[in-house]
Amino acid sequence: MKKTILIGVLVLGAIGAITAYFMYNKPHKDMEAASADITLEATALFAAFQADEQAANAQYLDKVVQVSGKVKHVTEEDGKISVTLDSGDEMSGVVCQLDDLSTPSRTDFKEGEEVTFKGMCTGVLLDVVLVRCVEVP
Amino acid sequence: MKKGILLSLMSLFFVVSMSGQKYFTRDGKISFFSDTPMEKIEAHNSKATSVLDASNGNLEFAVLIKAFQFEKALMQEHFNENYMESSKFPKSSFKGKVANIKDINLKKDGEYNATVKGQLTIHGVTKDVETTGKFVVAGGKISAKSTFNVAVADYDIAIPAVVRDNIAKTVKITVDIKFEELKQ
Repeated sequence: MKKTILIGVLVLGAIGAITAYFMYNKPHKDMEAASADITLEATALFAAFQADEQAANAQYLDKVVQVSGKVKHVTEEDGKISVTLDSGDEMSGVVCQLDDLSTPSRTDFKEGEEVTFKGMCTGVLLDVVLVRCVEVP
Repeated sequence: MKKGILLSLMSLFFVVSMSGQKYFTRDGKISFFSDTPMEKIEAHNSKATSVLDASNGNLEFAVLIKAFQFEKALMQEHFNENYMESSKFPKSSFKGKVANIKDINLKKDGEYNATVKGQLTIHGVTKDVETTGKFVVAGGKISAKSTFNVAVADYDIAIPAVVRDNIAKTVKITVDIKFEELKQ
């Protein structure tokens, strides 16, 4: 009887430890496989943040947002590529920072080209910033 | 005579407005490091914005909390949901001054030590801070770096007892900026 309890406790302990280990090492969201929660134009996304930042935060933060727009410019810093989409505003844009954890299918984005990205919306500073972006062909 | 005064005033205004040089970035790097014997945690953000007005030393930073990226997804989740409450407080910012801007010539190559004072807002809590940093001007390109420590408790960030040994009470923050001239 005592032995059964002991074995039971050990098994539970082992399950606990394994669960904790897997939770601790839980992978980041797979952005290539992730489906978009919201799909809209870059201009509409920027307009939503311009109109009411708090409401836009509530609506878009932590969501996989898929945006389409015209490439305004592309920057590269330490191998990290960011594509800024035209927001309709001269000073600001919708910045899509490409995902670090997957290999982009291409990085040769041209100014003026129409593209679509899905990424995690993190909020607005000068630009609306999406991180971990993956191009949607 | 009046015309002369007007002209000289206008030229003075012109000179003043010309010297009011502003610099900015939207690709600033801000990282933080929490180091305990139990665990090393670091997170990086390369989308900080900053504006520097060289005429008066005014300096501002802003960063989106959700754009910090961690090695471990679970840590990133805890950071956002439990500690920084980033849905409630999506940004951190700094507003202040380079106190010794007069000693810094951003038009001339060289290394300049800077003292920065101002208000740092994290987790909705604003505190006065003072730190040092360095401006490097090389080939007309301006970069700025600083490292400073922030006590987690100062910003009302509660760390649960279970992970108290895993998260440092004082977190090191590094700032690494390449400024561009703002063309007006």
